[in-house]
Amino acid sequence: MSKRQKRFQVLAERPVNKDGFIKEWVEVGLVAMENPNDPKPGIRIQDGKVAELDGKKRPDFDMIDTWIADHCIDTSVAQEAMALDSLQFARMLVDINVPRSEIVRLSVGMTPAKILDVIKKLNVVEMMMAMQKMRPRRTPSNQAHVTNLKDHPVLLAADAAEAAFRGFSELETTVGVGRYAPMNALSILVGSQTGRPGVITQCAVEEALELSMGMRGLTAYAETVSVYGTDQVFVDGDDTPWSKAFLASAYASRGLKMRFTSGTGSEVQMGYAEGKSMLYLEIRCVMVAKGAGVQGLQNGSISCIGVPGAVPSGIRAVLGENVATVLMDLEVASGNDQTFTHSPIRNAARMLMQFLPGTDLIFSGYSSVPNYDNMFAGSTHDCDDYDDYLVLQRDLQIDGGCIPVKEEDVIMIRNKGARAIQAVFRDLGLPSVTDEEVEAVTYAHGSRDVPDRNTTEDLSSIDAFMKRGGNGLDVVRALAKNGFTDVAEAVLGILRQKITGDYLHTSAILEGNFDVLSAVNDPNDYKGPGTGYRLEGARWEILKDIPQAISPADI
Amino acid sequence: MSDEQISALVDRMARSKGVDVSPDLIQEAVKRVMAVLSGESAPSVISSLKRLDPRSDYPIAQKRPDLVRTATGLKLEEINLDQVQAGKISFNDIKIRPETLEYQAQIAEAVGRPQLAGNIRRAAEMTRITDERLLEIYEALRPYRSTKKELLDIASELETQYQARACAAIVREAAEVYDKRGRLKSS
Amino acid sequence: MKITEDIVREVILEVLRDLAGNGGLGSSAGKASAPVEFKLIGPAKQGVDKNEVVIAIPPAFGTAMTSTIIGIPHQQVLREILAGIEEEGLKARIIKVNRTVDVAFMSHDAAKLSGSGIGIGVQSRGTAVIHQKDLKPLQNLELFSQSPLLDLATFRAMGRNAAKYAKGDSPRPVPVRNDPMARPRYQGLAALLYNKEVQYLNPDKPPEEVAVRL
Repeated sequence: MSKRQKRFQVLAERPVNKDGFIKEWVEVGLVAMENPNDPKPGIRIQDGKVAELDGKKRPDFDMIDTWIADHCIDTSVAQEAMALDSLQFARMLVDINVPRSEIVRLSVGMTPAKILDVIKKLNVVEMMMAMQKMRPRRTPSNQAHVTNLKDHPVLLAADAAEAAFRGFSELETTVGVGRYAPMNALSILVGSQTGRPGVITQCAVEEALELSMGMRGLTAYAETVSVYGTDQVFVDGDDTPWSKAFLASAYASRGLKMRFTSGTGSEVQMGYAEGKSMLYLEIRCVMVAKGAGVQGLQNGSISCIGVPGAVPSGIRAVLGENVATVLMDLEVASGNDQTFTHSPIRNAARMLMQFLPGTDLIFSGYSSVPNYDNMFAGSTHDCDDYDDYLVLQRDLQIDGGCIPVKEEDVIMIRNKGARAIQAVFRDLGLPSVTDEEVEAVTYAHGSRDVPDRNTTEDLSSIDAFMKRGGNGLDVVRALAKNGFTDVAEAVLGILRQKITGDYLHTSAILEGNFDVLSAVNDPNDYKGPGTGYRLEGARWEILKDIPQAISPADI
Repeated sequence: MSDEQISALVDRMARSKGVDVSPDLIQEAVKRVMAVLSGESAPSVISSLKRLDPRSDYPIAQKRPDLVRTATGLKLEEINLDQVQAGKISFNDIKIRPETLEYQAQIAEAVGRPQLAGNIRRAAEMTRITDERLLEIYEALRPYRSTKKELLDIASELETQYQARACAAIVREAAEVYDKRGRLKSS
Repeated sequence: MKITEDIVREVILEVLRDLAGNGGLGSSAGKASAPVEFKLIGPAKQGVDKNEVVIAIPPAFGTAMTSTIIGIPHQQVLREILAGIEEEGLKARIIKVNRTVDVAFMSHDAAKLSGSGIGIGVQSRGTAVIHQKDLKPLQNLELFSQSPLLDLATFRAMGRNAAKYAKGDSPRPVPVRNDPMARPRYQGLAALLYNKEVQYLNPDKPPEEVAVRL
């Protein structure tokens, strides 16, 4: 065009037009949920075993088919469940007269193609209705990311303290430099227990290293245990359903909570989608997780969100995978954890899909640090969006898991977290933390405001700490010895969880007094208006009380 | 046998083997012996007892602390800051024991989660395996790491050395499937 | 699945047109650069020289694909990595890994063949890893995961650090960079490029050593 229309010129400059969009490419699986190459639902049971699954006979089963057939599908209800009309079952999902328990009784007997067929019948509002009823735990909650570009341990401790103080139930860190992992885990452990006792922490790194940190008591749970929907990609992820199931039990054997991770788009991103739709492959992941006996799953595309985000109905498919997870009666940590758009409007709309119905963990997680410091390459929302988020909770009377805070309290808690890690470093012979660093992180927005550390020295010292068998109990002793008795008690409280195993159950989080809240003692009992979780009473008083609201009494 | 008797016995046995042992180590060994002794008949006792009820027994920490011991036989209330500061708690004291996992498996079953119960029961078996060996077996199960025979040997080891039948079954299954789908180590 | 190269090219071009037209992507991505001149030496052998670093590239690198996701010619990528290694007084060998384009496994293969035990893997889009043979495949010494942020200076620093690890030093890791908006802009395209790259694999073909003229 030689002459451009001015409105179109303005539109071209809008943030949304910086996003990458792709037209569907069915042959390689660059398609969200409608792919003619997806299998048709079907099952044949012979002598109590699955002999045929979605049109494939047992001798042709790949590893994932075999795992799902032998470990996931409840063959005692499979015939009944598969005989149900998909549309009828989809309607049951949004029918307040059909209880959650009846849905789960049947859904665990379904095949991947059947679950896909059901979810395809739902529009996003119906999917949200299904989520509201089907998430395992009654009380919704939230998770935060705590990372920074420099792997700065003191900043991590202060940020973890603030995030815990703001109400998140779980904190997740990862690394810029791999060898920093144990130091990052240690830093957010100390920080989190300073901010609010009972917040559980994890450090997302390579599987075996992640487990060994858990065994040492430096983390309390794990999440980045990835599963995939095709054999080739699973193997490229250096695992199989059997190795991952073994790993799952290894975590539980040390009393550690864990969930798997998967998400739409990973298979096509890694080049082997076998020409299937993203959601079909993701449902296979959900069922691999169910079969392994893990209590939950993180999904919602996660690190591959740019892929479903680029194709039609992709964000609907991402909500669909969250629904598939709760249909399998698993805890869902529902994504919202990676940037996928330049557009604030798209960004908020995508988040509302999980925020409005509530999930076990709405974000997995929310960036408690500025996105430039987010080492998961950025989350949909970061610390600069806190006030928007708090106002959304207040506008819509929704519990998104965050509480309003006062600036002076946050300064105090950040400072305490930094001083606590300073004491621990001193006591454990790790490189010293100066008072200037403590001061800087207390008031910092992010890592740009804190001085660099000697990374070589940090790395060799944490290597040595791991080599000499350093563990969570050393941290408790160091804190107690230096007068941080309350933090020491809290870290010990986290270690004690590993003796009772109460938080191994589905959707378990810890309250401030270390009481476990899970789908066992807080099951979702939603049956329509007037039932289920309602934001009211004391909790509503806390959430609606944002500091910037003007009180009529003050005027 | 009392703690003192076991303590003396451990000390004597260690000396006879030419091992120099600290009082701490002896204390640790005693705890382990006691745990094994008290745990020996536990599985049969548990299965004959009334199974746990999620409504009245969960969370176990609040509702049935009487059922919980650490791997070394301590009570939950003994894991406190005073004891830690007095140097009476070692990291080995902060480990779950198989009986507790069995209780949790019963609760998972009672709320209709058989796969979770199965996972927790495999975990109960794994409490008997050291961290190091557990990580090695996981590594061996990853793709292209093991021959079929190596996997079958691990399965036998799990069964005979650790009485880990459910874990062994998973490893045997893996050996078969990896063989069929070409995921074994090329010999 | 049957995907001809033409289909792939067509889709990529279409996407690029869309993005460029919308003021999104720079037009540099995927722009044809001169192919790299490779000379096949033979099957990649186990190195014994403690003073070497092995660089692994996938089959399409520098041939079917010639520049990274932000348009840096592969020729220059290799030149910078090699220069970084030479600056530290070490030697480099280049291998084509034919079985996988997964950067973790590529770089791990390189590390295992390297006399020093240190290897680098680089995908066509630019994603790179410095690996050490005793680590597990999905661990690493340094990971450069965000391909749109990798510039020439980073590739040189990568070579330099790999050489330092090979000498037994503990270098300060190349400063990590992070752009939260790289994903929305590039991930769809990255998936396309990866699917293209995969078409050139041959799972049964062992790695080959190549020489380059730069």
